[in-house]
Amino acid sequence: MQQIDKEEYQKRIDQITELFASIIDHADEQSTYRCPYKNKEDRCTAKFGCRNQRKPDNRKERLICGGDYKLDYRQAWETEEVEGGMAIDDENTEHSMGTVASDDRTRNLSVGKTIFDYADELEIQLPTSCLRTGQCHECIVEIKQGMEALQPRNEAESFLQDNYRLACQAVVSDADIDIDFSPLRRKPQILTNSNQTPIIHIDPIVTCQSGVVYYDRESIDKYRGHLYGLAIDLGTTTVVISLVDLENGKSITTSAFENPQRFGGSDIMHRISYDGAHHGELRKALINAINHEILQMEEQFGFVRQEIYEIVAVGNSTMRDILFKIDVQSIGQKPYKSTIEQAYLAGELSTTSLTEKTRRLGIRANPKAKVYGLPLIAGHVGADAAAALVAMDMASQKETVMLVDVGTNTEVVIGHAGRMLAASCPAGPAFEGGLIKYGMPGYDGAIESVRWADGQFEYDTIGDAQAQGICGSGLIDLLAELRRYNQMTAKGVFADKRQYELTVVPEYGITLSREDVSNLAQAKAANYCGQFILMRHFGVSPLDITECYLAGGFANYVNVDNAIQIGFLTPVSENRITKIGNAAIQGAREVLLSRQKRESIEHLVKSIDHVELETTPDFFEVFVEGCQFKPMPSVFR
Amino acid sequence: MAEITDIENEFIREEIEEFLERPNEIETAINTFAQVTPAMQEIAASLIDGDYQTVDQLTREALETGTDALEIMDNGLIAGMSIVGIKFRENFIFVPEVLACARAMKTGMAYIEPILSAFGIEPVGIVVMGTVKGDLHDIGKNLCIMMLRGSGFVVHDLNVDTSEDEFIDAVEEHRADILGMSALLTTTMPNMEKTIEAFIDADLRDDVKIMIGGAPVTQEFADDMGADGYGKNAVECVELAKRLLEEDEEF
Repeated sequence: MQQIDKEEYQKRIDQITELFASIIDHADEQSTYRCPYKNKEDRCTAKFGCRNQRKPDNRKERLICGGDYKLDYRQAWETEEVEGGMAIDDENTEHSMGTVASDDRTRNLSVGKTIFDYADELEIQLPTSCLRTGQCHECIVEIKQGMEALQPRNEAESFLQDNYRLACQAVVSDADIDIDFSPLRRKPQILTNSNQTPIIHIDPIVTCQSGVVYYDRESIDKYRGHLYGLAIDLGTTTVVISLVDLENGKSITTSAFENPQRFGGSDIMHRISYDGAHHGELRKALINAINHEILQMEEQFGFVRQEIYEIVAVGNSTMRDILFKIDVQSIGQKPYKSTIEQAYLAGELSTTSLTEKTRRLGIRANPKAKVYGLPLIAGHVGADAAAALVAMDMASQKETVMLVDVGTNTEVVIGHAGRMLAASCPAGPAFEGGLIKYGMPGYDGAIESVRWADGQFEYDTIGDAQAQGICGSGLIDLLAELRRYNQMTAKGVFADKRQYELTVVPEYGITLSREDVSNLAQAKAANYCGQFILMRHFGVSPLDITECYLAGGFANYVNVDNAIQIGFLTPVSENRITKIGNAAIQGAREVLLSRQKRESIEHLVKSIDHVELETTPDFFEVFVEGCQFKPMPSVFR
Repeated sequence: MAEITDIENEFIREEIEEFLERPNEIETAINTFAQVTPAMQEIAASLIDGDYQTVDQLTREALETGTDALEIMDNGLIAGMSIVGIKFRENFIFVPEVLACARAMKTGMAYIEPILSAFGIEPVGIVVMGTVKGDLHDIGKNLCIMMLRGSGFVVHDLNVDTSEDEFIDAVEEHRADILGMSALLTTTMPNMEKTIEAFIDADLRDDVKIMIGGAPVTQEFADDMGADGYGKNAVECVELAKRLLEEDEEF
């Protein structure tokens, strides 16, 4: 006869609850390094697809887990179903014999699809900013096998050779041949070092006393052996992370990687739209890439993420706000201001800088660590320009100086500690290779410098690789040389007026067309307008500039004299030009290490006036003037 | 003081020898299993093996032949699950295996539940759990279900890719006190909101407490969409469930 006493039963329930609670605890811990769907035989029990799944030898068995412990397995999860978790061959579907593959992922081929379509299916991200119409040249892929299976190159791809195709233009014509492709291995010439001025006095917000770590006055951890901080520069194209020792101010390592958000577009406006349509994706991609980089640093330098106690992040307004989970749609529409800036102007916030817990943003660091985003200057002129001002110590400048931060968006700041003006010019991608037939970013194979000698162009390429195209600094050189040797007028017409396209490198068919020149002229004009209008507004001429600081990606490689000759850069004498490399990361480091610099820049940005170039009454005239390939006047009347 | 050779069941002997290392745990295990009947040892062994069908059969037989329900719980189910817990802690087995054993335990408990009712011991609460539409992740949900059942709740598992209608039907059919939804993707999270709205539209929102969970879910998100609560992990899920029931009772 069954007898159950309520109290006795409850005792058992409590026992079970306790037992399960410790199981859950352990499951949480184990999940930090091992996917919970992976059973003891390393087989996958998930119902969904995952990039780590491999086919077993015996088709009736479960899929094998090919994951390693280095990457967060959650990155590999996809939502497509795996049929019953077993590897089943579709014997019922008719398909061609050929397959398309990249890495270990495979799909069956069908005629008519493009390589970009397959990249989507294989979950390989390729960048594009022209909606896959063949203009931006960003989706270049290398066809390792199966060139014959594709339709021949079309007009838009004519600048490529060997086994390179534009993924959006390459169409499958023969579905019975296997194709293997991969995105270009991109190792851009990225500025990771700046001219580091040794940081003498450090007073970081994170300190250690008697074995206790403090953030400001709050104790947050026991000292574990290191006091680390991170400075992150969120470039639109490239992200740079610097690991800094907060005890002695030394930069332990700096690494750079391509900003993974490129799949949302390569310029800010496209990314803002993408974020509106797929909110959260760009941020996720960025956080994952940052965390992956941090993990690699941990392994390489032997520390744990809990020893990272503060992160300072800089970037233009959109990039910074995306990191901090802020909606960026307002930056894409008039008056092009961040919601944070708007709140500040309305008096709701006392600063445009942001501070947030790393835990809330999902970044690998001590759970109590915080992320500090430098203040914005105005509009698109963001935290990176503010950081550059720290690096060039604008706060101490008594004479008129100018900062030109060249990029897809060029930022210009002019003035001195007492009065400053800032403007942002959307130069566009021309000097980074976009819209130019043979233009390309600063990767291996890009022509980076050009000289005219003995009736032909001599050149150097990045990585000494075979010339594939011309990057920004090379384009500037080319334009300057054409002017210097009277091969082109200031208005961009070639010496032979009927010539539409001139050959630069005959062996590889690299040319420059009138259309290319026109696009470059407009990009240059944007840069010209920014500098010219600001100087005029400020009331100075180029002669009055005591020092011109050149910052940003390709500025370091630019031939300054050529840049001045074609009117890309203000005519300041060469000894007054200082290339400060990646000033943004340097500024971020300094802010990380010094409260005083942090307070100083917070104070400084508030007195910077923003000049909106487009609303200048004679903007159009200045722009047209700026389109001409000739130097800016040294003195303004 | 018992010896390992006093344990009749070979499988259990092997499990203790191979997977237990701490002397106190070995002693406890030997003492426990040496004293229980072979039938109980067999139930424990099948549970450790994750074999829910055998646990089903043996539990039924044991009850039919007059074994005390509490004895089955103590010497068959809990004894077996303890060994599972140790193996898991030492990383000999992993989450999928643990879930298989928990399933076996649930199967055994299914026979005991009617007996509990007969004695006026009601479940702590009735819960319907599922992963939302478009989402195929279930581990977190399964661990929560395991924890809820272990704490005395009756849980109806709707599995993955569950539509709003399926949620509504299940809540009505089982007269659930609580609905738990899980989502692992930012893209499927909106389906939680849609489901809650569906309940409002069907005029059922006040009849059930809704709790949500999953990696991208946050308290903020839960508040924004009108859920009654958010649980970060399985333990919090159970605490939350209990709290939600208390709130209900206050009415």
